[in-house]
Amino acid sequence: MTSCARKEEPARTEEAAPAAAPAAAPVVDPATAATITGKVLFTGTRPVMRPISMDAVPACARQHATQPRSEEVVINDNGTLRNVFVWVKSGLPNAQWPVPSEPVKLDQHTCLYKPRVIGVMTNQPIQIINSDPTNHNIHPLPKINREWNESQPPGGEPKIKTFAREEIMIPVKCNVHPWMRAYIGVVSHPFFSVTGEDGTFTIKGLPPGEYTLEAWHERYGTQELKVTVAPKETKTADFTYKG
Amino acid sequence: MKPDDLDKDPIVDSSLSRPLLVSSVLLVLSLAWALYDEIYAMRPWKSYQKRFQKTYAAFLNTLVPDQAAMEQRIKSSPEYQALDRAVREAEQRVLAEVRRIDEEINRKLTPQIMALNEKFQEVRMEISALTYELETASSEREKNRLRERIARVKQREVTVTLPQPDGSARKLRYTYDQMDRDLREWKDRKAALLQRRVELMAPADELRRKRDQYLADRIPEVSSTVLAGLQRKLENFPIEIRQIHVRDVDLVDRCESCHLGIREPLVLTKAAMGGEAAFISHPNRELLRIHDPERFGCTPCHNGNGIAVSSVTKAHGYYKHWLWPLYKRENFEAGCQQCHAGEIITEMADTLNLGREIFRARGCNGCHRYEGYDREPEELAAVRQEIRQLEQQRAEFEREIKFTIEKGDRARDNAEAQRLYQHADNLKVRISNINARIEQLDIRSRNLLREVKKIGPSLKEVRMKLRKEWLPVWIKDPHQFRPGTKMPTFRLDDEEVRAIAAFIWQSGVTGRLDKQPPGDPARGKESLETRGCLGCHSIGEGAEQMGGTFAANLSRVGEKVNYDYLVRWIHNPRERTLPYCPLERRDLTEEDYRKKGLPFVFDFEHSRCPNDGHELVVQQMTPMPSLRLTLEESRDIASYLMTLRRESAAYPPAPYLDDPKLKARGEFLVRFYGCAGCHEIKGLEEEQRVGTELTAEGSKPIERLDFALLTHKAKKEGWYNHKGFFEHKLRDPAVFDSGKEKPDKLERLKMPNFHLTRQQIDALTTFLLGSVESTLPPRYFYNPTGQKRDIVEGWWIVRKYNCMGCHQLMVGQKTVFDTLPRYQEPDWKEQKPPSLIGEGARVNPEWLMKFLANPAMSTTDTNRNGVRPYLRARMPTFYFSDGEIQKLVRFFEALSSQAQPYIPPRLETLTDRERLMARQLFTSEGAPCLSCHATGDPAHDRRATAPNFLLAKERLKPGWTLRWILDPAMMMPGTAMPSGLFTREGNRWVFAGPLPASFQGYEKDHADLLVRYMFQFTPDELSRLRAAGGTAGGVNGMAMNRTKR
Repeated sequence: MTSCARKEEPARTEEAAPAAAPAAAPVVDPATAATITGKVLFTGTRPVMRPISMDAVPACARQHATQPRSEEVVINDNGTLRNVFVWVKSGLPNAQWPVPSEPVKLDQHTCLYKPRVIGVMTNQPIQIINSDPTNHNIHPLPKINREWNESQPPGGEPKIKTFAREEIMIPVKCNVHPWMRAYIGVVSHPFFSVTGEDGTFTIKGLPPGEYTLEAWHERYGTQELKVTVAPKETKTADFTYKG
Repeated sequence: MKPDDLDKDPIVDSSLSRPLLVSSVLLVLSLAWALYDEIYAMRPWKSYQKRFQKTYAAFLNTLVPDQAAMEQRIKSSPEYQALDRAVREAEQRVLAEVRRIDEEINRKLTPQIMALNEKFQEVRMEISALTYELETASSEREKNRLRERIARVKQREVTVTLPQPDGSARKLRYTYDQMDRDLREWKDRKAALLQRRVELMAPADELRRKRDQYLADRIPEVSSTVLAGLQRKLENFPIEIRQIHVRDVDLVDRCESCHLGIREPLVLTKAAMGGEAAFISHPNRELLRIHDPERFGCTPCHNGNGIAVSSVTKAHGYYKHWLWPLYKRENFEAGCQQCHAGEIITEMADTLNLGREIFRARGCNGCHRYEGYDREPEELAAVRQEIRQLEQQRAEFEREIKFTIEKGDRARDNAEAQRLYQHADNLKVRISNINARIEQLDIRSRNLLREVKKIGPSLKEVRMKLRKEWLPVWIKDPHQFRPGTKMPTFRLDDEEVRAIAAFIWQSGVTGRLDKQPPGDPARGKESLETRGCLGCHSIGEGAEQMGGTFAANLSRVGEKVNYDYLVRWIHNPRERTLPYCPLERRDLTEEDYRKKGLPFVFDFEHSRCPNDGHELVVQQMTPMPSLRLTLEESRDIASYLMTLRRESAAYPPAPYLDDPKLKARGEFLVRFYGCAGCHEIKGLEEEQRVGTELTAEGSKPIERLDFALLTHKAKKEGWYNHKGFFEHKLRDPAVFDSGKEKPDKLERLKMPNFHLTRQQIDALTTFLLGSVESTLPPRYFYNPTGQKRDIVEGWWIVRKYNCMGCHQLMVGQKTVFDTLPRYQEPDWKEQKPPSLIGEGARVNPEWLMKFLANPAMSTTDTNRNGVRPYLRARMPTFYFSDGEIQKLVRFFEALSSQAQPYIPPRLETLTDRERLMARQLFTSEGAPCLSCHATGDPAHDRRATAPNFLLAKERLKPGWTLRWILDPAMMMPGTAMPSGLFTREGNRWVFAGPLPASFQGYEKDHADLLVRYMFQFTPDELSRLRAAGGTAGGVNGMAMNRTKR
């Protein structure tokens, strides 16, 4: 099983999760585990993203050769949509899924969140890093989980945080740099994924069954798909968002 | 008669065995019955107690293993183990010496002191007796003899057996003085040893306290020791009446004979207690803590018959002869009202608070007097009365002065003259005090004229404001047009509607109204949704409805109003067409001013009547404030509101509104139905109320509540009580007319239908049930003084102007903004108006006074927020009177327990070096203060998202500021201001980011430094800081000053 994202940093959790999983979760028999994979396609006109003005903060502006644009909608070269959070919304057996101890990283770099969308399991640590020469504050605005807002100076210690309750999605902002925005999907099981540069997602280690898959995008909203997987099967399920 | 019969002696021959048998059987039966009744039937509480003992014990048994396991888990944790080890080590270190001390005390000193003391006391008493004889002896010879005897006794040796530490005993011979000396010595030694022991044990005791605290902190409810205690208590559970007896009130409450769990330390739910609701613990422990049952009992709050224990019905008072039945669940807060009658908001009484607010805001007191709900008019009357009395007093003093001086002039001697002259002077000084008092009362009465508000809009303005045809449609049934509106539905026939509409229309005033060009409805919608209108008003109908319920739903406002008037109203709702003179009892016109050669200007600066100098009503009597919007923005909003209409709605023409023949009939009906209770109506400004007073309605004898033909039905159905009367009346105010033959409409019940929801009816019923002539002694009543009184007073103003629509004032309270969809979004969350919890601790009261009077903090630049220019929502101008501002400021100070008057603390003066350091820190990129906080520099402030902290010096209190920058989330969870700006290093706070070089070697607290910097700001420093700009001067610019010290 996996908590995977196509971005480089969270990919590490992909390795960590299976290591922890088999010992504590007899729910899934590795011999019959199935996989759902797919693409998130984008059709229609590509929206033009508004430029971000970092002039007021030279420490941020300096890091960009050209004026950065909002990453609200990122269309990959292959016509797929990046930063879509895909998760199994329903259909799973009622079980205590083991929580990976490996943290998911959320970096503040060039005054942007990297990656913009991450997924974690409930109580899985999130490691928040400030790689910028300026002060950030991390301010998640959950509706269910507890809200907090902490300052992180340049070169400050990484922060380790967790969320205890499932919530799709928690917006994160920085009050100092209002253009910064990230989203954290907190799921009570490990079956979720975020589309990256190739616009694909993979959810591994699923027990055979009938599932409702949900895709979430910050502008284009949610979509659902019903997917049934047989033992050891790898099923493809594609989502399509219209611009 | 047969001969046999004659032989038989009735005494001998007739057997009494049968009657005897019958009566003895009866006797036995009645004895059995009596015993049964005694033991079971009359004592239902006994079985309650037995059941309680059983279920509670069972419940405790379920807890104990969990509790024990949890404690075991905590005790085996490394932290606890370490603490425990530390305790034992600390004990070990001193063990030897402590043992030595204990040994000496227990085996040697204590037994020896006891043994010696016994003999010593014998001798001492003998000496005391002799001394008494000596003191009372009459002759000197006798005295000398006794003195010698005392000396002899002192010299006498006694044998004392002293036990030795090794168990043996030693016999010693002692004189009195020797005993005294040894005893003193040993006692001193023992005290010193005990002192030493405490000192030795102190570290271990402290560690033990820490260890036990560690355990207690991690156990959510009670420890296993407490559980064991409860179990022991249950084992010896006496079956007996449990009663609270409050002697001075003669109160006996035996409720706890059955409700045995009420004061248990555990939370007992119905489920936990085997489904028996009677055994639950009190659901609000804090209430119980404030109202200690030992002092307050149960029935003063809950009603019911506290003494009765023979049945549940009797004890709860649900029978004919008990006047105060137990409040039902939905009304239990009625019990709060009887002692907290002076409050509009009582903490922890949400239902009651809702009832009070409905009573106030729906205009119930427009028709029904209720003590304390007409604060302004009643205070106005009281103030005027006091002025009259003082003026009378002054006149009397003046007369007396005159006479006294005359008498002095004619006095027999100078001393007498001097005395009289002095008296006259004293009276003069007292008159000067009276003058000062009258001046204050004059100000207050002017204030009060301004504070009086009406629930409904002024009907004087209808001709300018409304579409003519709309008026009769609205009067016929306001709830048809706008469900849930404040205005109730009167039972009017068409003739009455026409007459009332005609009178209202014809009594309307006319005046100048500027023609307004159209605005932009799209922009207007945005303004309406973000400026704060929705804090009070709602838009949308049914499930679409959003916004507050304090003011009207605006969904169909486009069908009723005149656009030009609406623009004026939005721009400033207090703007009035004509001023009203209370003395002349009429609206003044331009003509009145022209006659006196005055311009037609009336406002708070020009508030005197040109005819008689009397204070005028210069504003509309609406609580709606001015948002200080530009005319352009007002036009946008009005244009949007004009689009809110149902195109399908039809309004038949209403030419009869101008028919003068209808006017007299209309005026009669308007008076009859009491319209002037809520509306300002020309000619009816001083109308009296039409309804009955409700201050003590809850204790009105039931016979005086007219159930009419429903009496029988009510008795049969069990609602022949106050609760039943109120609920039925509120649900359908005409209900008690049913079946009545009343051909004359004027005889029918006239209370209109408010279309209240179930929840609203419950709340109002609760309020009315609690509105009683209380029989409790005065000490039960909440009549606070000082700051608590300030709080009570303040809530009335908070309610009056609906401050809580926008601001959080109570912990846990939601504002309207918290419910608006837009404000759930990340970018809008921080656009909510600020929480005011702790406002009194935060701001300087002097500043708050100025801010409340003028939230723009400017007389010229008013189209803005004075403190938070970045908020779209506007803090409006309420045109508070000085009295209201004083009350509000005192309210906030009191809520935060601030000493009054406020004396700013003296802060340590900044050194030059500190000023430089602080400046560098403020402007460094590591400390983003200026990225968010405004500075007053327009270019910078365009991006600002936090208050201008350069105002801090004037606006804030330093103690609060320090606590705020250390942990803002503590005061306002979810605030944009981040936590974690400082870290604890030893006993000081250190800035968590990169420090400018100048901080090297600085040993003091960094947070304190920044606060002192903010509070010692100079204009000079401001320009320097602005030059640094918060961004430029950055980290680069700071190293150069590092050596300056």
